[in-house]
Amino acid sequence: MNTILARPPKGPETKMSGTTPQRTGPADPVEAKRCADWIVSVATSRDREAFAQLFAHFAPRVKAYMFRFGGNPETAEEMAQEAMMQVWRKAHLFDPSKAAASTWIFTIARNLRIDRFRQRKHIEVDDSDPTLIVDEDPLADDVVNRDQEAVLVKAAMAELPADQKVVVELSFFEDCSHSEIAERLDIPLGTVKSRLRLALGKLRGGLEGVA
Amino acid sequence: MNIKHHPTDQTLMDYASGSLSQAMELLVATHMTVCPHCRDKVTGYETMGGAALETTDSMSMGDHSLDHVMAMLERETANENIVTQELPSLRRVAVGESITGSAMSALPRPLADLLPDDVMSLDDIPWKTLAPGVKHFQLKSIESKGTVRLMKIAPGVSIPDHGHHGHEMTLLIKGSYIDEIGRFRAGDVADLDDDVDHQPIADTAEECICLIATDAPMKFNRLLPKLLQPFFGI
Repeated sequence: MNTILARPPKGPETKMSGTTPQRTGPADPVEAKRCADWIVSVATSRDREAFAQLFAHFAPRVKAYMFRFGGNPETAEEMAQEAMMQVWRKAHLFDPSKAAASTWIFTIARNLRIDRFRQRKHIEVDDSDPTLIVDEDPLADDVVNRDQEAVLVKAAMAELPADQKVVVELSFFEDCSHSEIAERLDIPLGTVKSRLRLALGKLRGGLEGVA
Repeated sequence: MNIKHHPTDQTLMDYASGSLSQAMELLVATHMTVCPHCRDKVTGYETMGGAALETTDSMSMGDHSLDHVMAMLERETANENIVTQELPSLRRVAVGESITGSAMSALPRPLADLLPDDVMSLDDIPWKTLAPGVKHFQLKSIESKGTVRLMKIAPGVSIPDHGHHGHEMTLLIKGSYIDEIGRFRAGDVADLDDDVDHQPIADTAEECICLIATDAPMKFNRLLPKLLQPFFGI
């Protein structure tokens, strides 16, 4: 798990004093669905108890995410708080048929990270754009259970061989291009690409198992 | 639109993880607006991001973190009635008819939003001549890594044979072109790695308009264009 804590130390502040190996994420679709329900409760009834549950589960993970992108522990804490505040504010935009809770919160964290560290907005598709083209065959979309999908992908992720997992984690958690990953791990670029391709194949297997 | 060429899986994953340059991100978001297939794939990669978030180490939050956040939200909620909803933009940049039926209906918002305010159609763009039959318009307000430009290529004109130092992507907006890889029509993306050389030729029937994003300057393979490169800055 800790094979890729490769970020070079930047000073006395980089000790991850708050790191604890909590891995009590939703282990099954029931728990993943509970996270989705909490977000819906926050949206519909400003449910503080549901928000506290979401906070307990996601804030420490978002904090670790921010820390890995070069924040110090104070910045990471503050950005995790900000991300959770966005969860509260944007809860009405969450659509459980489109994304699992973890997927949605990942995009909030990613966008906040780009906003803060690169000082710009992540450019996204606008769902109300008149030029938006929607699939003529919506069948596939409607029957997907997003929570179940997230759980299968998570299970597939846990089973990836270490060498493939490293490239996936560096891609998502360190803002590394493929050539930077190659440099960091001291392996050829072609090897990075082939490992990613293998990993994506397996993870996508998780996505396709639920239609 | 019958899209046949898409960004590579790795490009879509980099879009989802948020590690593309802004130039590339713009091109991908513009393509995704007209391509439900790629939107779906990106949702898949975002699901992977969520799974990675779930399976990675966590860092415990400060002692009174939740209380602090709750207090701030409490204050916000008290003022909630003054929160205004974002209105959808009515901006529309027309693309115009294509005689071969290969054109976007209008520019998707990610791209339209970056054009000067007075541009209402592709004809209003202040094109600059790059070479005979080739015009371009460089988009502003893009972070320094990478460039993004619109290109307008006259019927039958070929872009000089070139390779790439880095990643280059082309999105067709109107018309079509042919190169070693195949034929590209509106909505199609050519996602080229550093080791590909190609020489696109615009279709003879009409001009071709495309969006090109690069992470590094293009390199031309023949002497003349190489000499011109410093002037054109491409």
